[in-house]
Amino acid sequence: MKKTQNHVTRDTVTKHETRVMEAMDLAVGYGRKTVVAGINQEMLKGQFICLLGPNGSGKTTILRTLSRLLSPLKGAVYLNGRMLNDLNSVELAKALAVVLTERLSPGLITAFEFSAMGRHPYTGFLGRLSEEDIRKTEEALLLVNAGDISDRYFNELSDGERQKVILARALAQEPEVIVLDEPTLHLDLKHRIELIAILRRFSREKGITVIVSLHDVDIALKIAETVILVKDGTITECGPPEEVVKEETIARLYDLNYAHYSNCLGAMELKANGDGAAVYVVAGGGTGTAVYRLLSKHGFNIITGVIHENDIDCHVARSIGAKVISEKPFGNIRKGKLHRSFAFLEKAECLIDSGFPIGPSNRRNLKLVLKAIERKKRVYTLRHRKPAGDLFGECAQELFYCQGVTSVLKELAKRDP
Amino acid sequence: MTKYFSLYIIFLVFLGFFLVLNIAVGSVNISFPDACKIIFQHITDSTNGAIIWKIRLPRALATALCGACLATAGLLLQVFFRNPIVGPYILGISSGAALMVALVMLGGLSIGIFGIHPFLISIAAFAGALGVVLIILTVAARIKNIITLLVIGLMMGYLCHAVTSVLIAFAEEKKLKGFVLWQMGSFSGFCWDEVCLVSIMGGLLLFGAYLLCKPLNAFLLGEDYAKSMGVNIMVFRLLIVTFSSALAGMVTAFAGPVAFIGLAVPHMARLALGTSDNRILIPGAALLGAIVTSLCDLIARILFSPVELPISAITAFFGAPIVIGLLLRRRAAI
Repeated sequence: MKKTQNHVTRDTVTKHETRVMEAMDLAVGYGRKTVVAGINQEMLKGQFICLLGPNGSGKTTILRTLSRLLSPLKGAVYLNGRMLNDLNSVELAKALAVVLTERLSPGLITAFEFSAMGRHPYTGFLGRLSEEDIRKTEEALLLVNAGDISDRYFNELSDGERQKVILARALAQEPEVIVLDEPTLHLDLKHRIELIAILRRFSREKGITVIVSLHDVDIALKIAETVILVKDGTITECGPPEEVVKEETIARLYDLNYAHYSNCLGAMELKANGDGAAVYVVAGGGTGTAVYRLLSKHGFNIITGVIHENDIDCHVARSIGAKVISEKPFGNIRKGKLHRSFAFLEKAECLIDSGFPIGPSNRRNLKLVLKAIERKKRVYTLRHRKPAGDLFGECAQELFYCQGVTSVLKELAKRDP
Repeated sequence: MTKYFSLYIIFLVFLGFFLVLNIAVGSVNISFPDACKIIFQHITDSTNGAIIWKIRLPRALATALCGACLATAGLLLQVFFRNPIVGPYILGISSGAALMVALVMLGGLSIGIFGIHPFLISIAAFAGALGVVLIILTVAARIKNIITLLVIGLMMGYLCHAVTSVLIAFAEEKKLKGFVLWQMGSFSGFCWDEVCLVSIMGGLLLFGAYLLCKPLNAFLLGEDYAKSMGVNIMVFRLLIVTFSSALAGMVTAFAGPVAFIGLAVPHMARLALGTSDNRILIPGAALLGAIVTSLCDLIARILFSPVELPISAITAFFGAPIVIGLLLRRRAAI
């Protein structure tokens, strides 16, 4: 196994030359029922492969077939050029380890003993651990940051710690491929991230091919070198996420009607532009995101603009489903756009000034605030009195000053007596 | 490792203590020094000598051995089925044995035979146990799911039980008493030939069971993980069913069904040794099984002496509360 500390780029190139596993015309399922068919996929050394898809799409079935816990219905899986079914059980165990979803309750077994079970294919008839076995187990525990819990009983560990020990067991098996079925299930955010980081270490430092199914789409797209999208009995897309995953891809994969995946943000936003009171938000430079999320959470109908298309506020507002009046990137706001905004402002009950930074390109947005005051609409601002006075002059006295986003909400609640 | 070793020593001391107690105490009390003298000087001509050499010593040895066999069989099956309430009779072994014994004792099979030789009952019991095991093995080779195997075992038990109860319904009353007593189990009446047989068979089977400890450990994580670690599930399944059934079947053949030891002792051993590692647990469970069974047999003999209580009554009466207490105090499933 190569150390990859120094020549990361070169190593990434070389490791991808060797093919470890390959599925050819594979159909997977139970008995006569085919779940997913037509799988052709090569898996390279050290590659991080991620399966995405809704529940019941067949991710688990694919993973179980790849690890020979299920027989293929058609086609075959090759491991280092040999058909999976031709390997004897110990040969397979030395090349492939699994992490499954079933909840384990091994009884009075310490974390160390649990991990040491990974040495099973290497130990003798009675399973006595050699010094090398003990060393490898300890190394595996250290690599998953579980060195400190090795003497505790497995059953007494938290979910996050357990999952790390389960990973250590798989690592102690010294496999070329690790197949994991939803390893982040039941974990909190910290352990989720830690687990993914450990998996990345497996693939980068140890050159292990990691094949994993995940539910966290955002994390998966950021970490995986290859994603396989599974839906309705076929593989819909397959390749580097940067190429194959478009904004609609994720929405279509999970049939999302009420949420939007933003590729640029790399996260989901709930589509929730309510049919409550219309509120006009003047924002920019990221000052609007919290306002949008809060308003949409409470069912307000959000109109916002004028925002430049390269502004993060624009991405968030669109993901949420707000009405957005946008301007081209880096250009000054044109009069036409401003007048369209005025038209929308008429529909709104009130206006929120998010305290956006002002520069030459968005100076015209200030006129929206003045216009709202002129039309006798309530204007809430997140600015302090002093800078507001500098910007709006006498009109500044008409503003409602709010400290923080939540106080805007309180003020909004007061508006109808 | 030294921790386990010292625990083994403690177990051995206890076992020795109960063996001697079983030899010395009974309806005829023989003082401890006398008992030692009789054993070590091999005195057989006195009355006490005859009691010890012909009755008590073979019985004490057989009791300890049978206890070890039952506990080990129970442990194997508990790990295999990943279920803490499984015992050695779960696969219908005792029911099969009971059916054959009922056929011999109550049914027409004994017609033409003068009286019923005790050895005949043993043979019938073993044949019954073996028959059920063979059916289970045939099924085990075909099905995929372990739980299905468990259910089939239970169903076999019910079927055998049904036939037995039909036989009981038609049986004569005086024959019935003998059968009911057999069903409750007893270690009385062991002769040296039987002890030799049990020692050889039991010793081999216990050793064989110990050799299964590595795949058994892998099985602690469930069948899928065991498979992924290189355990050949089909071979292993046949071995487990064969060994555990042979152990339990052998005991049933000589002593009748002895309840509870196989179910409770593995839990006690797990808690006493503080591990589920079968390499340590199998010898521990065997020793503890011998100790607990010896103790129970002692109580069965002396509690209402000279009337001897059925062993299953004692094992359940004392063991069940102990297991419940142990498990409540510390959550230790399989």
